[in-house]
Amino acid sequence: MERTILHIDMNAFFAAVEQQSNPALRGRPVAVIGSRQRTIILTASYEARAYGIKTGMMLHEARQKCPDLILVPANNRLYTHVSSGIIRLMQDYTPQVEVFSIDEAFLDVTGSLNVFTSAERIAYLIKSRIKARFGLTCSVGIAPNKLLAKLASEMKKPDGLTRIAADDVARVLENLPVGELCGIGRRTQEKLARLGVHTCGELGRFPVAVLRAHFGVVGERLALMGRGIDGSPVLSPEQEPEVKTVGHGMTLERDISSREEIARFLLQLAEMVGRRARRYGVSGQTVTLTLRYADFSTFSRQRVQPQQIWRSEEIYHAALQILDSLLLAQPVRLLGVRLSQLQPRERQIPLFDEERRRESLTAALDGVNERYGEFSVMPASLLPLKGKGSHVISPAWRPEGIRNVKVS
Amino acid sequence: MEFRIEKEIFLKAMTKVQGIIEKKHTLPILANVLIEAQDHNITFTATDLEVGLKSRYGANILKSGKVTVSAKKLFEIIKELPEAEISFCAKNNFWVEIKCGKSVFNLVGLSPDEFPKFPVIDTDIKDIDKNMINEMIDKTIFSVSNDETKFNLTGIYIKYNSEEGNLVFVSTDGHRLSLINKKINEKLSDKFEDGFILPKKGIIELKKLLENIDGNINIGISDNNFSVSNENTTLIMRMVDGDFPDYNRVIPEKSKNVAVIDKDIFLHSLKRISVLSNEKSKGIKIKLEKDLMTLTSSNPDLGDAKEEINIIYSGDEIIIGFNAKYIIDILQAIKEENIKFSLKDNISPGRITPENDENYLSVIMPMRL
Repeated sequence: MERTILHIDMNAFFAAVEQQSNPALRGRPVAVIGSRQRTIILTASYEARAYGIKTGMMLHEARQKCPDLILVPANNRLYTHVSSGIIRLMQDYTPQVEVFSIDEAFLDVTGSLNVFTSAERIAYLIKSRIKARFGLTCSVGIAPNKLLAKLASEMKKPDGLTRIAADDVARVLENLPVGELCGIGRRTQEKLARLGVHTCGELGRFPVAVLRAHFGVVGERLALMGRGIDGSPVLSPEQEPEVKTVGHGMTLERDISSREEIARFLLQLAEMVGRRARRYGVSGQTVTLTLRYADFSTFSRQRVQPQQIWRSEEIYHAALQILDSLLLAQPVRLLGVRLSQLQPRERQIPLFDEERRRESLTAALDGVNERYGEFSVMPASLLPLKGKGSHVISPAWRPEGIRNVKVS
Repeated sequence: MEFRIEKEIFLKAMTKVQGIIEKKHTLPILANVLIEAQDHNITFTATDLEVGLKSRYGANILKSGKVTVSAKKLFEIIKELPEAEISFCAKNNFWVEIKCGKSVFNLVGLSPDEFPKFPVIDTDIKDIDKNMINEMIDKTIFSVSNDETKFNLTGIYIKYNSEEGNLVFVSTDGHRLSLINKKINEKLSDKFEDGFILPKKGIIELKKLLENIDGNINIGISDNNFSVSNENTTLIMRMVDGDFPDYNRVIPEKSKNVAVIDKDIFLHSLKRISVLSNEKSKGIKIKLEKDLMTLTSSNPDLGDAKEEINIIYSGDEIIIGFNAKYIIDILQAIKEENIKFSLKDNISPGRITPENDENYLSVIMPMRL
């Protein structure tokens, strides 16, 4: 059966939210940065984009292009709040809402067309309600699958509405550079170029066997992508596969190399991971530490624990053990901690009182944080961090129904 | 050094040291066995610095001396040789030549001077009943923790109480505990009175040693080393550093909820019911009511099971969860026909003893239902 999928992409989300919450910023070139010490632009308002300022640009470069650029440090809590509100609004039109990232979502409206007459009408309703309630604009793509819906939403920005109809797919893709498709990164694009494949049309006609030889199993998927075919379902949080790993990563305000500083971030990450694991009622046996060096080279090391763990300090100690087994070659810019080999948490009560007290303490801390917000109670060593979660939202971050988040 | 020895004896000696040698290869010398020839005896020594074994055998010594070679390779070679006399000869630069029939092997060795010194224990030596020690190990070893991070639980705690003339073995993994108390006639030293923890690896080697000897054994202590010896063999182990938890605190007081249960019926029922419990946590549910015990398990992926057992019970009605394995372990260690199972409520530890013997007991913490 033909599906109707919407992809909704908030325009310059962080910058637009800032402009809405501070009228003085409206109509002016604004760039959101990770923190005062970070030097990369996370999002730029459309006014700033007019000067050629883009996501990922270095600060000094941006200042050269636009000396009047207003820099705003990211306010994660605000973005999360707005994002959750927008997602709830989308859920009025279909239960099948897949939160793709903090500012993007897929909606499968196939079953809602009877009620709302058409996909375009749903798109207009959502756009106008987001505009009225949050003052924000978004671009919407309508297509028979997620791949094409995402492509469609990219076609007109800001405030766009684009439909790629089933019988129009071949024409749209014929001369489209492969890099425009979500899922084909620069490396894949370069590899394809070496095979003489530049457009989606060429990719779709390319022999699958050759693709498979070069890309392995992904080869087949690439061929399908070239023809605009994507069978992946829109997964609402309840439908997502069971939690397999619980992980968090954060890009640091600045590159660090002292063990003490890294350990403090690990403690914070371990607390975030532990909290989520406990909320899901799971424990895990493998702890993975991911590090990204200043030059962006990234690697992970993991360690299997003698038994299932779930308390934050156990996760922290495991991560620290891994850290201590490494010889750091460079300062670190990103840290990630992940707990895997998950199982429903054992219900065995410990024999010794001290152990039982440790468990009660964890439960009590969780209770407080549940009620008064994350990091309301925290280890004193985390205090200088001002008690905010990670300072930069990782691309895998999702505002609610967080299920299968992996360290990017 | 040169000696001749029967294959059978050589193989027996090499088999014994296999369990001792260091497997992590932190120090190459620890993968080797030290072979010393003197007078009419060959002495084999292996150690991983935690547990060490030294054993002596008669042989035809042509020239005295000592060498060290890989214990694993030597074992593999000897094992495959024909049943005949083996000639063993040390060459230059710690090489060793082994000849048997038409086979010749040349093995690289390491200097015997590098081999760690084997501590000599000659203080506090006591003669003790081997069968009793064997039984006490069997009844406690299963609840020793395998979690290296809880190192103070990775062995059996041994303590002597001079007032009552009792020797106690206790082990726990933090979820359950087993304890056995035995009257002994020997007076043991202050070291025993203070209590100490013996590592699981050492205990396992001790078990092997006890199986192969007749009569009594000598035990001794010096500093942090514990030794067990008979005529030809000495096993030494370093005590586990750390304090054993105060186990008396977790042994529940007498309770009015006491069930008397046929051990074999209970044991087999547990084994059946736990087939359908969670693979890892082995959680089962036990319901106690007037003269009846009901065991149930369920696993969302597999199904459920239920079994009733007639017991003697007149306490409160209790529904409680347990890891079936913990109960199975203790029941398998009990020789008596009936057991006593005492409970307080479903969040307090249960206590299992043989029906008429309070000197052996297991304390098991329940699972939340």
